[in-house]
Amino acid sequence: MPKVAYPFTKLSIPPNDPYPKGQIAYRPLALATLTAPNGESLRCVVWLDTGADACVFPLVMAIALKLDVLSLPKGTTGGVGTATNVTYYADITIDIGNGISFPAYAGFTEGMNIHGIGLLGQAGFFSMYDVAFSHKKSVFVIEAP
Amino acid sequence: MTTALTDLPVLLKGIPSGAWVAISEEKNVVMAYGPDAQEVLREAKERGEAHPLILRVPDEAVAMFF
Repeated sequence: MPKVAYPFTKLSIPPNDPYPKGQIAYRPLALATLTAPNGESLRCVVWLDTGADACVFPLVMAIALKLDVLSLPKGTTGGVGTATNVTYYADITIDIGNGISFPAYAGFTEGMNIHGIGLLGQAGFFSMYDVAFSHKKSVFVIEAP
Repeated sequence: MTTALTDLPVLLKGIPSGAWVAISEEKNVVMAYGPDAQEVLREAKERGEAHPLILRVPDEAVAMFF
């Protein structure tokens, strides 16, 4: 079974009032291929987010995958700074390489458009893989069962 | 050379905030960018990149909390 280490992505944040010297953010990001049941696929950036209840992506990605958005089941979801988002759900496959590929009932919401990346959350991703985060070593390790 | 996440700050330099960007990972270059993700994807495919990596340039680099 694969056990794969990925480096955290280091990003510089310019100085601002609370951080006059700026900040360095270390983010658990990966590149992913999303594949819809119709065979359409899309490459995107994903962020491993233990705080997300499920995997969720920008709504524009559902359109790019040629999913019939208006026919998908939908519900309301929330996040920091937003009371509710309409989120549409579809079965897709998410592949982040190195043998880490899994089916997910993923959400697609306009609220993620502004971020332009996906979140790998509890249902679908963390429910399937053990993940160890080491901020000190600046790596995260994904282990298949 | 395929695109790595660490390449993105360099690749995205000079591209306006809020733009969607399509990148050829094989060529490690930006194929298209603009305000409309579908249009950017279409343009990248027209230029020969069948499976571009797509992302959006952040409005500004800020600390994030989801």
